[in-house]
Amino acid sequence: MRFLADEGYRIRLEVPNMGQSADLVASRSRWLTFVEAKRHDWRRALRQCRAHEAVADYICVAISLRSVSNALLQEAKDVGYGLIRYDLASQTCEWMLQPSRNTKVWLPQRRRLMAAMKVIDYAD
Amino acid sequence: MQIDHWMMFSTFAEQRHFEYPEKGTYQGVIINANMAAYAPAGLAAFLLEKTATGTYIIDPLTHAFQHDPEVICNSEGEPKSSIKSIAQAYGDPVLALVGARPLLPKHFKDSKVLRAFTERCVKFQLDYLRSFMKEADAAKYVDDDEIKPPYAVVAPYFFLTETTYAHWLPICIGAAKQTRENLGDGECQKVFAAVVVSQGILLDERAQEAIAGRLSEAAPDGYLLWVDDLDENSASKGELAGLLNLARRLRANGKREVINLHGGYFSIMAAGVLGKSALSGVTHGPEFGEFRPVVPVGGGIPIARYYIPRLHARARYRDALRMFTAKGSLDSAAIFHADICDCGECKDVLTNDAANFTLFGESTVKSVRRKHGIVRIDFPTTEAKRRCLCHYLEKKRIEYQFAATASDTLLLSDLDTGIQAYQDVAGLEGVAHLQRWKETLTA
Repeated sequence: MRFLADEGYRIRLEVPNMGQSADLVASRSRWLTFVEAKRHDWRRALRQCRAHEAVADYICVAISLRSVSNALLQEAKDVGYGLIRYDLASQTCEWMLQPSRNTKVWLPQRRRLMAAMKVIDYAD
Repeated sequence: MQIDHWMMFSTFAEQRHFEYPEKGTYQGVIINANMAAYAPAGLAAFLLEKTATGTYIIDPLTHAFQHDPEVICNSEGEPKSSIKSIAQAYGDPVLALVGARPLLPKHFKDSKVLRAFTERCVKFQLDYLRSFMKEADAAKYVDDDEIKPPYAVVAPYFFLTETTYAHWLPICIGAAKQTRENLGDGECQKVFAAVVVSQGILLDERAQEAIAGRLSEAAPDGYLLWVDDLDENSASKGELAGLLNLARRLRANGKREVINLHGGYFSIMAAGVLGKSALSGVTHGPEFGEFRPVVPVGGGIPIARYYIPRLHARARYRDALRMFTAKGSLDSAAIFHADICDCGECKDVLTNDAANFTLFGESTVKSVRRKHGIVRIDFPTTEAKRRCLCHYLEKKRIEYQFAATASDTLLLSDLDTGIQAYQDVAGLEGVAHLQRWKETLTA
């Protein structure tokens, strides 16, 4: 959370979205970045991210692995998701891959999300 | 050709939908015995006030007693009150065993035990709900002869698997014969046997032959068919072919009615032109119940999902939205109605604005305790559930009519259209069920 806050994001945790709950939503200016965090199961994280494509400007997977596999890097790159690696030993995060702008946003759904997010406090 | 459209009663909250989209849509209602025993007055009022014909069948649910008692007990280890109620109505041997030990074939070794058990089971179906119907407020407005007995009485039955059918089948046959004797010359003259089987039976030709062949000795007028947890959308071609084969054996060239208790569009097509009337009818629940496991017994909470007509499948709102936006089907209301659905409910909900599709996914946020703490999850609103349900019921009615009246060519081209329309957004696996249905029904 501090990693993103240091980059100027405001953070909300556990944001519900169409029957799922996004682990973290970081907002900066009018842009929304959805982050799904997992210790190991990155395939599950990628699946969960799909639901956010209707509402998020950027989508990221945060993973706590010592090294990131090429398969994960390639799959994330193919779908335009960002990748953040968390190092448990040093308790630091680093960008492995910057997300591309998601062009699949459906505005009516996005408006519903924005209205629902108003009642969720910032965590930072 | 006609396909009997039955609907399974699930919760009182949905009772107003048994005349939706219009009166006479449904041939009748299937009611689980535990529900009838637990809330007889409510069900009696429902049958008199909320159904067009008051036609019903009570599933005696006798299989409930043969499983591990845990599946019919509450968290305190006591039998659920609805199950206890039917045990009291059916008497021994189930009353002595309920919640403590599973019912076994040996408990019916003495033929007098089966005879008495069957008699009580038949009496429950014939008289219990009817007695409450006669006492209901709504009874004032109907003639006595409108308070009808069930459409058919279902003989006590047990769940048959590849390894257990040889043990239970003789009991099922005996119970069906006894049921016929118990009806005498009463008002209800139809006896149905229930064929409730594991998916493994569908792949076992010999078991099918034994079940269908030997049950026919009891000369039932029809069958209720239920394959444990058979989701037609994920079933293999072998399982689908097995279902078709078993249904046709039971149907005996149209001599007997065969109603699939939990069926989707594959079963509807099997009952129609393409399946050459392999089934006489198909049942589903309001928005769920196209497949159902035998265990746990009863229960189930309906959830909101959008029925995608061309896929003949329900999808979570977020998945439906992803596919529709990818296809461009939400670019305008007109495109949506042309591409996805033009039923009355969808037109009412969209009111010429595609943005209103979000109303099918309308939700409220609740905090839920999970392993790692409290999470916020959005649950569909009652109105969103109603919208999804009404859309589903409208499409279902059309499916029954279409399968009963359209030509083979049209029915097959409808499946092809679904494959073409969705493979780019759902992937080949997402449309594979349509291909499997087509290949099975034309084999």
